[in-house]
Amino acid sequence: MSINDLPVLSALRTKMQWHQERQRVLSENVSNSDTPNFRPRELVEPKFDKTGAAAGSMGPLAMTVTSVSHMTPSGAASSFDQNKNAGFETRPAGNAVNLEEEMMKSANNQMDYAAVTSLYSKSLHLLKTAIGKG
Amino acid sequence: MANDSSDFARSMAIATSGLRAQAGRMRVISENIANADSTSPTAGGDPYRRKVPTFSSALDRTLDAQVVTLGKIKPDQSNFRVKYEPSNPAADASGNVKYPNVNSVVEMTDMRDAQRSYEANVNIISATRRMIQRTLDILKT
Repeated sequence: MSINDLPVLSALRTKMQWHQERQRVLSENVSNSDTPNFRPRELVEPKFDKTGAAAGSMGPLAMTVTSVSHMTPSGAASSFDQNKNAGFETRPAGNAVNLEEEMMKSANNQMDYAAVTSLYSKSLHLLKTAIGKG
Repeated sequence: MANDSSDFARSMAIATSGLRAQAGRMRVISENIANADSTSPTAGGDPYRRKVPTFSSALDRTLDAQVVTLGKIKPDQSNFRVKYEPSNPAADASGNVKYPNVNSVVEMTDMRDAQRSYEANVNIISATRRMIQRTLDILKT
């Protein structure tokens, strides 16, 4: 069993990947804040089951790599669902990006990411203590 | 996942494309303001015509993300301001001089808007940098 198979670490890793992906989506929204007909996008937060595996956030037909020689399907990087319920107002040019909202989301994303990385470090520290090297 | 390690780099590159587009917009605005009183060199000719920057969203294939680009810079088709100045060398036969269709108030508000968008992109870059720093901090444990 590798260190990455530990439920807590894999859950934290998924969460970190989600924050990373969300930062990219927010960055896209902000940079396109003056593009006509651009609609902002948002990601659905992953939910975890008791074993620490992400539940319900992945696509219903996610492909599984059963052999190391399999190629990763294109576009598989964003395995998080998009949140289509985000409220927005649209300007006459068809642009629906609200800069203040995006800044808030970016700040939140950054703080949550800091919390997750701290938890990850603490978990690693806990492991070190368990094996008697902390 | 193929792009794991470069995801933050992608965020930064997207925000950089926003910075570049807004800087280009500022260039067009400053051109308009600088030429707010540029009349035609010939008598009765058309003066400087206000320029309008356009933005478009394009898929960057190397980044696999929607970046923003400064599109064509189009001329503003609104009417020129006309003043009666018979002594001006640019005046036509009836003594009217055409002045550019630049409104300094419009340019100022556009400039504020460009500045605000630029700052937002800078904020995204610094937030992403802090997140990268947090990732590297895991190594220190």
